[in-house]
Amino acid sequence: MVYGKNQWKAWLYLSPALILLAVFTVWPIFNTLRMAFLENYGLMSANGGATFSFGIGNFLKVLQYKKFLNCLGNTMLLTVLTVPISTILALLIAVCLNSIKFLNRFLQTVYFLPYVTNSIAIGMVFAAMFNIVGNITSADLSETGNIIVTSGIINNIIEFFGGQPISWINAKSSYAANIAVMVIYIVWNALPFKILVLLGGLQSVNKQYYDAARVDGTSRARIFTRITVPLLSPMIAYVVITGFIGGFKEYSSVVGVFGVNMGPVGDAGRLNTMVGFIYDALENDNQGRASAAALILFVIIFAVTMLNLYVSKKKVKY
Amino acid sequence: MKVVLQNLTKKFPNRNKKVKDEVVAVDKFTYEIPDGKLIGLLGPSGCGKSTTLFMISGLEKPTDGKIFFGEDDVTELAPENRGVGLVFQNYALYPHMTVKQNILFPLENLKGNDKLTKNEMLKRAVDAAHLVQLDELLDRKPSELSGGQQQRVAIARALVKMPRVLLLDEPLSNLDARLRLQTREEIRRIQRETNITTIFVTHDQEEAMSISDEIVVMKAGVIQQTGAPQAVYDSPVNLFVAKFLGTPPINVFKGQIKEGKLYVGEDAVFSVDEADREVYVGIRPEGFIPAQEGVLHCELNGVEVMGRDVSVVTKNAACENPVVRSIVSAESVFPAAGVVSFNLKSNKVFVFDASNEERIFCELK
Amino acid sequence: MDNKIMTQKDLTEVKRLQLAKKIISKFLVYAFLIIIAIAVLFPFYWMLNSSLKDRAEYELSIPTFFPRNPMFSNYVDAIKAANLGRLFINTMIVGISSTLLSLVVTVLTAFALARLEFKGKNIVFGGMLATMMIPGELFTITNYITVNDFGWINTYKVLIIPFLVSVFYIYLLRQNFLQIPDELYLAAKVDGTSDLKYLWRVMIPLSLPTLISITILKMMGAWNSYVWPRLVANDNMHKLITNGLRSTNLVYSDGTTNFPVQMAAVALVSIPLFLVFIFLRKYIMKGVSRSGIKG
Repeated sequence: MVYGKNQWKAWLYLSPALILLAVFTVWPIFNTLRMAFLENYGLMSANGGATFSFGIGNFLKVLQYKKFLNCLGNTMLLTVLTVPISTILALLIAVCLNSIKFLNRFLQTVYFLPYVTNSIAIGMVFAAMFNIVGNITSADLSETGNIIVTSGIINNIIEFFGGQPISWINAKSSYAANIAVMVIYIVWNALPFKILVLLGGLQSVNKQYYDAARVDGTSRARIFTRITVPLLSPMIAYVVITGFIGGFKEYSSVVGVFGVNMGPVGDAGRLNTMVGFIYDALENDNQGRASAAALILFVIIFAVTMLNLYVSKKKVKY
Repeated sequence: MKVVLQNLTKKFPNRNKKVKDEVVAVDKFTYEIPDGKLIGLLGPSGCGKSTTLFMISGLEKPTDGKIFFGEDDVTELAPENRGVGLVFQNYALYPHMTVKQNILFPLENLKGNDKLTKNEMLKRAVDAAHLVQLDELLDRKPSELSGGQQQRVAIARALVKMPRVLLLDEPLSNLDARLRLQTREEIRRIQRETNITTIFVTHDQEEAMSISDEIVVMKAGVIQQTGAPQAVYDSPVNLFVAKFLGTPPINVFKGQIKEGKLYVGEDAVFSVDEADREVYVGIRPEGFIPAQEGVLHCELNGVEVMGRDVSVVTKNAACENPVVRSIVSAESVFPAAGVVSFNLKSNKVFVFDASNEERIFCELK
Repeated sequence: MDNKIMTQKDLTEVKRLQLAKKIISKFLVYAFLIIIAIAVLFPFYWMLNSSLKDRAEYELSIPTFFPRNPMFSNYVDAIKAANLGRLFINTMIVGISSTLLSLVVTVLTAFALARLEFKGKNIVFGGMLATMMIPGELFTITNYITVNDFGWINTYKVLIIPFLVSVFYIYLLRQNFLQIPDELYLAAKVDGTSDLKYLWRVMIPLSLPTLISITILKMMGAWNSYVWPRLVANDNMHKLITNGLRSTNLVYSDGTTNFPVQMAAVALVSIPLFLVFIFLRKYIMKGVSRSGIKG
């Protein structure tokens, strides 16, 4: 170790990182806090010489804003739906994958593929799959010839199994259908990371626990609930916490499926999220409101993470 | 429940995939374990003893051969249908469950006619805990127990479902020396009380000798010798078994049979009726009798007093061991240095053919 | 204790049940895994399938599962219409330069934090880690103002510099550096090797896997970044590929979306990522399992 006279060297090596962090990380923390408490702060008006009074008006306005409440609701709903679904599904997949030898590596690679995709690009593919071109009437559906109108591959599949096609993302589609599409896409996107972490956890579990359970005639279901899940609980807690944090920052997947309008045609902003709200406020030159919303988001994420940690401390088994 | 193993064989594919040959872990293992006995499977690490145990438990599938519990052929049976209790080397206690939950776990798996009520389960768990003297520790987690206590939880967990056969894989190897002594007595006591046919695997010959009704000595997947510990000790069939059993270990000398005499190095020690050949001569430490006119001559290295006996450490050029260790009565008198002579007890001296290391059974006069 | 736990059922019966159970459970496991695999792969298949159809075939009410008449021209159209060539060049410029700069900064910082002793080290490192807890949106707002003040809007700088330093990568590399024994450093000092030479000749080769992971994740980040570039670089000279993809309207003359060409564009954006993944799978999965951060 080098002491004393070489101190300046250490600071020299650190300087690029420290300067960049000071300008683009530390300063923003203070400035965003400041702007959040300056009523209606906007960049243009600030440059124009306007002054702003100090207060909590931004927060009040944001919280009364219908648009914001809508964004908050969407974000919460998507998070609350996708985190449990993707975690349970990933857990099942990881356990099944861990129990087989044949095709194991191939399937691992396949399941990881969604991770190395561009969430905007594949969102567009999902949009294409759920999209309806033209107007579907019962007359169209009864024909099987080369009628030029597609109800989308997903609707085709639903019809194949005898169901009724519905409008998923087009104009006049229902909110429930929109949310369903987003949940499917977000879960599809979230699986790879969760599978990777849980599979890693499973592989590090001592195989003898399973041998012991087998000798004692434990059923698969009981092995899963009484041994696998408790032994895996630290990993499960980890994917749930990161899942919640990611869920509250959901944005680009909605852009991928619905475009920058964040909603079906004729109802722009219906599926907007917290992050989307912040960017909208930025683009509308209301940095004060954007800052307030970002702080609210931070507080929510912080609170949910703490809650998660508290629960997992009680539930994580050893 | 007697356990019969017929031609039990286990082959593993070679770790090095380029080599086609299979590794034979257990080769044509045939043995009958009598009902209610404690059997020690003994051998150096890698001799296939654990593999044999796992085949009996059903966790490993034999490549060939059959396993019978009583009259039932259980070879194809999954572990859960065999009714065995298994104690792992590192216990495999579920870390997230208390001692009580660990012991209850196998009972909660029972289905159909065997299903127990909550109270019955609890009673049996408490009985099992009492048997291994864990009454006070039922609500602790495994991480709060000592090694010996964990070991006893593992035994209780294996016993609680009243297995037909109890299997123990190196049950004492993770304990310190004092606990090991204590726990092996415990295992012996529990086995006597429950009278469950028990098979346990160990590489420690002293452990196996001290508590087993019978021992099976294995080497490289093949049974070398079976029998009561004392009988095996007193009459090993080959050099490997002779060397493997006994502390201090047997002294092995290079020797030969020439013209009706057995030679150790230069010294003719016995008359034998055997053809001339190169041999190994094994002499148990207790087979030496100091005598002025003794037949075997050694260079004295030192004397270690052990109370009733003394251990005499000497050197002999023909000896394969670094030193010749003999245990003699404390009354014997030795010079401070120089050559000491011994007569030998014929029943403590074994002769092995040097070419195949098999015992030459012959009368030593 | 009694010695019988198993009622003396017919052994063959037990064996048959046992075998049936085993076969059924294996079947169910594989069925489940394969269904999931199909669900995972289907969007990719549908993307490629759609990208090769002409309009008439794409809009058939009964879809075709293999293009009757593969329209490779869709890809040419996509490159032209979405200006993908230019977007690709922009993305490469930003990706490569930000990765290289980020590596230099990360290596220097991690070296100082892992190997050098100086006053305030723990405060610096602790402070860095603390910033990891704050969501990026909070920085974005002020950074948008800052780059505006700097006059950086619609430049490459604005895409490269503000998010150049990743505390997470510094942390990862520092941990890796710490595993290299002190003795190597002391030996090098005794031999009169300079810090930088030691860093270059010993530490970097020994932490190559981590550096490769960082490189890949950083490149993928540039390829996939959407939010920040959309805010600060919207002209054609600087726009990145993901933004171009979403903002270009690929429509027919009648105003409906030209899905085949759009899917061709999406495929062109996705394929490089797959190629990288196929060749560098190990590094990506290792890096990801430690980070949990996308891109």
